[in-house]
Amino acid sequence: MKLWSSFPLHAVRKWWPSNNEWSLLVAIVLAIVFTAIVDTNHTYFFRPMESLRDIARNSAMLGIFSLGAAVVIIAGGIDLSSGSMIALSGTVCSVTMLSLAPTEMMAFKPVGSAVVLIAVLASLLTGFFVGTLHTWLITVVRLPPFIATLATLVGLRSFARAVCESSTAVLTPTKSALINVADPAFKVVRENVWFSVGTFLVLAFLTWLMLSRTVLGRHLKALGGNEQAARLAGIHTENVKWFAYCFGAMTAALAGLFYIANESVAAPVNQGRGHELNAIAAAVVGGCSLSGGVGTVQGTVLGAFFLRVVIDAVSKIIKTGADVYEGLIVGVVVVLAVTFAQGVNGLRQDRRFLPGALGLCTIPVLALLAGSLASMTTGAASGLATGFTAFIALVALRIWESRSHGKRVQVSISG
Amino acid sequence: MNKLGEIAVAMKGITKQFPGVVALDCVTLQVRRGEVHAICGENGAGKSTLMKILSGVHQPDAGELEIAGQSVQFHSTRDAENAGVAIIHQELELVEELTVAANVFLGREPRTRFGLLNDAIARRKTEELLGLLEASISPGEMTGGLRVGDQQLVEIAKALSLHASIIVMDEPTSALTDAEAERLERTISTLRQQGCTILYISHKMDEVFRLADRITILRDGCHVCTIDKEGTTTSEVTGWMVGREITEHRFRSQQAIGTCLLEVENLCVASQDSRQSGQLHNVSFRVHAGEVLGIAGLMGAGRTEVLETIFGASPNQWQGRISLGGEPVSFTHPSDACKAGLVMVPEDRKRLGIFANLNVTENISICSLFHAMRNGLLSKQIEEDIVAEPIHQVGIKAPSLTANISELSGGNQQKCIISRWLLTKPRVLLLDDPTRGIDVGAKAELYELIETLCQNGLAVILTSSELPELLTLADRIIVMAEGRVTAEFPRDEADEKKIMAAATLA
Repeated sequence: MKLWSSFPLHAVRKWWPSNNEWSLLVAIVLAIVFTAIVDTNHTYFFRPMESLRDIARNSAMLGIFSLGAAVVIIAGGIDLSSGSMIALSGTVCSVTMLSLAPTEMMAFKPVGSAVVLIAVLASLLTGFFVGTLHTWLITVVRLPPFIATLATLVGLRSFARAVCESSTAVLTPTKSALINVADPAFKVVRENVWFSVGTFLVLAFLTWLMLSRTVLGRHLKALGGNEQAARLAGIHTENVKWFAYCFGAMTAALAGLFYIANESVAAPVNQGRGHELNAIAAAVVGGCSLSGGVGTVQGTVLGAFFLRVVIDAVSKIIKTGADVYEGLIVGVVVVLAVTFAQGVNGLRQDRRFLPGALGLCTIPVLALLAGSLASMTTGAASGLATGFTAFIALVALRIWESRSHGKRVQVSISG
Repeated sequence: MNKLGEIAVAMKGITKQFPGVVALDCVTLQVRRGEVHAICGENGAGKSTLMKILSGVHQPDAGELEIAGQSVQFHSTRDAENAGVAIIHQELELVEELTVAANVFLGREPRTRFGLLNDAIARRKTEELLGLLEASISPGEMTGGLRVGDQQLVEIAKALSLHASIIVMDEPTSALTDAEAERLERTISTLRQQGCTILYISHKMDEVFRLADRITILRDGCHVCTIDKEGTTTSEVTGWMVGREITEHRFRSQQAIGTCLLEVENLCVASQDSRQSGQLHNVSFRVHAGEVLGIAGLMGAGRTEVLETIFGASPNQWQGRISLGGEPVSFTHPSDACKAGLVMVPEDRKRLGIFANLNVTENISICSLFHAMRNGLLSKQIEEDIVAEPIHQVGIKAPSLTANISELSGGNQQKCIISRWLLTKPRVLLLDDPTRGIDVGAKAELYELIETLCQNGLAVILTSSELPELLTLADRIIVMAEGRVTAEFPRDEADEKKIMAAATLA
């Protein structure tokens, strides 16, 4: 009885990397090695630099506003609006350039560095405005952060589209939902991956410094850990929140600039759509707790990198567009990562994964999910086989769980 | 009818491990039917864990549990309830958004023929149960709007509705005022007359000796002894609890009182709250350097509101005059108060005091971070140097400076919060019920600390839900009732009777 309850856990806990970041690093290496072997084109072997560049650029773009999401989450809030902020930032930048240099913009000619600088500053200032609006809604109007940023998630994208259409209607011959960005400054950024990666790393370093070595960072953690205690300890919690939400919105604004550089166009209809959830996922996979107060920059950076590596791996292996499966992958990764992070605890409390009626109904749900995924990626026959195997395995797990649970009870009677 | 003296609960060799600690080590205990059996022990002695095993919250790693001679295994609280065991947790577990009746019958809602909720029956039965408990609570009230003492009664009504023959009460009076505690004591004797067996956990020795038939003492997860109340004394029991004899804290000698540091005149607060709580009417008092002013009063009398208003932490507007060291002040945020040298240790340590996500050092340094800077950045080294002094002065026992604050006992957590404020070099210290839920040994240490601070010239305002504590510590006691000051006593004139009389003035 004693052996049963204590032996496996102590053994597991010794070799299990206690540190979430180490586990992530191992997972990243495993995903890369696995893809390099399984991918029939062996892209990682034959064109390593090209693959690395793609992953680096995508990770950097996601990472920039993931840092913002992480800071907001550590401060005990949530920012759902970063995807829409990306769209608005790109729109503000291109509309500013269009209004300052309409002829050059329409002729796809350089607009001059002064105009670009003003446009970039205008975007970042928009981020500051949005962050301020969030803080006002949350601290003064007293909306829950989820509601305030849900409103701007929906509202800002619509606002960006309206800005795009009304300003093109005035400044150009035809109303348009897109604004092309052809200035060489953006082209340089697109063609040279070091701009986005460098910006990301510098931002990550500054965020790390802020969180771990400044009073503001400590106050952010205190606010996220216990808001009432923070106020009673003399911390001006409204100001700390103000910083957090502005940081969140301004990193999204910064990411928005890289989006328009990368795609040579400001397209508020779908630029960054849904990406706020990827950023939140990166932060959560990286160890940030949604209840606030807990999280690191290192974890968030690795979380963003891990998400992009897995998305890239799947697109290499399946060889269809990554965008189709992106959401699915992010969903699965979040569930698995957080489950593993809790894994050791789960084992200790000998938790059952398929308890009662809920467990019974979960068996066909998981089997169907596995089967349909397999049939879409590898064909109907193997899909059917996978679904069937999963079903059998889950039924077996269920039976094993109910028997071992019963056994444990008997032991405790005699013990 | 149950025969008195027969064994209602037998626990044999109960062992429970949590990661890193053995919470209970082979504890054996027998409880007789119809007795009030007190379980005593310091925080972390395993009292709550033992009771959680009895009520099905935790399962033991080893050992046997018998109820009325039958061997049982509880896998959930539902199993325990079916066997007639109900627990009233230390932290009340009521759904604040539901009515009293809905809470009493939560999970066992009476239903109509059509399977719909039958509120009428639930309310009627709740009313009957509350009547038994002499509670003037309407079953239709929202539970969240009730005072803590009344919420406790709702929990007891819930236990009664289960027809529980064994009721576990885990520190039921820790949040109650003396009047409420008295009512609870009457309830307990009623329950006992009806044949209920009661297991009673408490830190308060006078309460234990008034109520209990027998006392079991636990220390560090081990059973020390079980003894008849008649055969022992308070100091013997506390001695067993801490493993050493505790000398009763002595009244400190009258000090030379210094200049008036804090003066409050005609403080009025009109609460936006529709309930009467939180209002203050013409509260006036003064505190001198080196003096402890005690504020007595029932729950909801406005003790906390007074302290919060002075500290600038209250959301309500106030009128009147507050002067600190002769200067009129009006703090709108706790940080202003802190800068001026007035600080507050809030009443609910867990909810308002500690940062569970930060370590011991970080919890103490949070108000003095600007002194821990080197080249504009925080220096861990300076930070640890800064906190070392108060940790030593206050006598915090922690595994290390970087240990998580949650690993510390309640008393040490409270000392961390006091240290946090001592670092800001305050002149006036407001302590709102600082010893709530803290065990005997740590209480005595806190008393000594408060005394030392006073000798160093600090002015202290202390509220407490325990009158003996105020009588021990305070030089002067003001009594509040419904937002008004109803009496003021110097220490030599104060006694429990007079204070209670003033506290219950309408």
